[in-house]
Amino acid sequence: MTGLARGIAVKATPARGILRWGRRWPVLFRFSTLSIAAVAVLFPFLWIFLSSLKPPVELSRPSLFGFEPTGVNWSEVWLNSPFARYFLNSVIVGGLTVIVSLIVGAPAAYAFSRFGIGGTGLRFLILAAQMMPPALFIIPFFLMAYYVGLLDTVWAVAVAHLTFIAPLVTWFLIGFFEDVPRDLEEQAMVDGCTRWQAFVRVVLPAARPGLAAAGLFAFIMSWNEMFYALMLAGGHSKTLPVAIAGYWTFRGVDMGKMSVAITSAVIPVMIASFFVQRYLVRGLGGGALKG
Amino acid sequence: MGHRDRRLGRRMVLPLILLLLAVQGYPMAFAVYISAHDYRLTALSEIRWVGLEQYRGLLGNSSYWTAMKNTLVFVFGAVGLELLLGFLLAYLLWRPVPAQNLFRAILLTPMFVTPIAVGLMFRFLLNNQLGIIPVWLRSLGLEIDWFGPDLALFSLILIDVWQWTPLMVLLLLAGLEALPVEPFEAARVDGASELQIIRHLTIPLIRPVMLAAILIRMLDAFRVFEYVYAITRGGPGERTETILFHIYRVGFLYFRLGEAAAMAITLALVIFVLVVLLFRILRRQEALT
Repeated sequence: MTGLARGIAVKATPARGILRWGRRWPVLFRFSTLSIAAVAVLFPFLWIFLSSLKPPVELSRPSLFGFEPTGVNWSEVWLNSPFARYFLNSVIVGGLTVIVSLIVGAPAAYAFSRFGIGGTGLRFLILAAQMMPPALFIIPFFLMAYYVGLLDTVWAVAVAHLTFIAPLVTWFLIGFFEDVPRDLEEQAMVDGCTRWQAFVRVVLPAARPGLAAAGLFAFIMSWNEMFYALMLAGGHSKTLPVAIAGYWTFRGVDMGKMSVAITSAVIPVMIASFFVQRYLVRGLGGGALKG
Repeated sequence: MGHRDRRLGRRMVLPLILLLLAVQGYPMAFAVYISAHDYRLTALSEIRWVGLEQYRGLLGNSSYWTAMKNTLVFVFGAVGLELLLGFLLAYLLWRPVPAQNLFRAILLTPMFVTPIAVGLMFRFLLNNQLGIIPVWLRSLGLEIDWFGPDLALFSLILIDVWQWTPLMVLLLLAGLEALPVEPFEAARVDGASELQIIRHLTIPLIRPVMLAAILIRMLDAFRVFEYVYAITRGGPGERTETILFHIYRVGFLYFRLGEAAAMAITLALVIFVLVVLLFRILRRQEALT
């Protein structure tokens, strides 16, 4: 990750000429525009969080403050409904998908970055595979799950998520392995390791931040995915997005509980996202864009 | 590269290839097979070969074309606005500004939220009885029906802008930060104005990153489903029926799997063309760096 670290250091010490040049757009103007954008981003989160604390009678009255906060929605959702189960389903689907993708994707990404195996063609395939529309796969997956009796299970969802998570993880890792200096593994091979041993003992540990970032980002993608989950799993095998959608139906809406569900689903992802942000650009570009 | 390296490389790639054949290759072939049949979920025992009949049917299927048109309007509207707003915000974040890192962290958050939650949040916020935004607008004397026939698709575009401008900011800011300093100093010494510099220097220099960002966003916007599912379900009428939602409707609400598979394959072809473009841009970019 030395390349990334260098990129960030460059940003922190801009040349003096640039600073002077930057003054033509007054800092006050830039600061206030960014503040407006930040408020526009934060306001919906604040609104949902406050709604999760509103007593049910207050929910039909649109207001920001001026109510007695209560934890009744929170205890209803977490203790008196299967929500914890849906939360766990999402963890299982995401965990399983990410682990399989890392195990399969890391060696492949290394082979791409070091030996150029498969060349441009294979690399294109990896990109195309993560971009294919889920509509293409959902009908075959639905029928296959139906025929083998996996419909309405988290396993069906996990397999469906592999369609885009495995290529995504591989694509991300290509860039991260390219940032690991080749001297490291060459030194290990001089010391008597085989290439494979050098990969496992030296390269993988050196690429740990990249592996973690790719894994976390992939987990977030799986956690947030609804299209496959909606079609392949229902009842007790629902994942969080499907459960969230279930609070607003044509019959009516339970806004307090929905707000609890949304807040609960979003907080873990927000925390994870702060670890991922730095690596995202390099990952998304498959090594072609600078982070 | 030695002979042994090549053999090891092939072995390291093999598991991924097998996995992709299983979860992508086989289902794709199955989808093509389904699209060549009269395949209904309600009559799985009477599957009938129809050749290209499903595809010929799409030509005269007005709902399909409406959904395609809506999707294109959505994609171009959303990505266009995201590019403008994203460039503005990235540009403002490029140079030192108080609380720069805090702004950066806050502005990126929406892209990590599950889209169904974003859809429901805005359905809730913009709702005429329950939402707070209509209350504020009414106090200004404005009565806006966000999800009525005229505005519904545009409202969905705005929601997409809220959620995905951050990705644009992230990519464009990275592009800006990777630019060399010298040309800008030279332009300044020559007395160029800020707008001239943006137009003749900044934008041409980050053009490859911009194109990559546009394509990445377009590829994603074609898959819009959750906002439609959360808010309008395609309505009013067919005003917000997007292609993914239409495929869902035909396949899983009307049970006509053959027709839905044919639609999905035409969508995949459109996506494929965009992926080819993206790949070429990324490759050229890599050759430069």
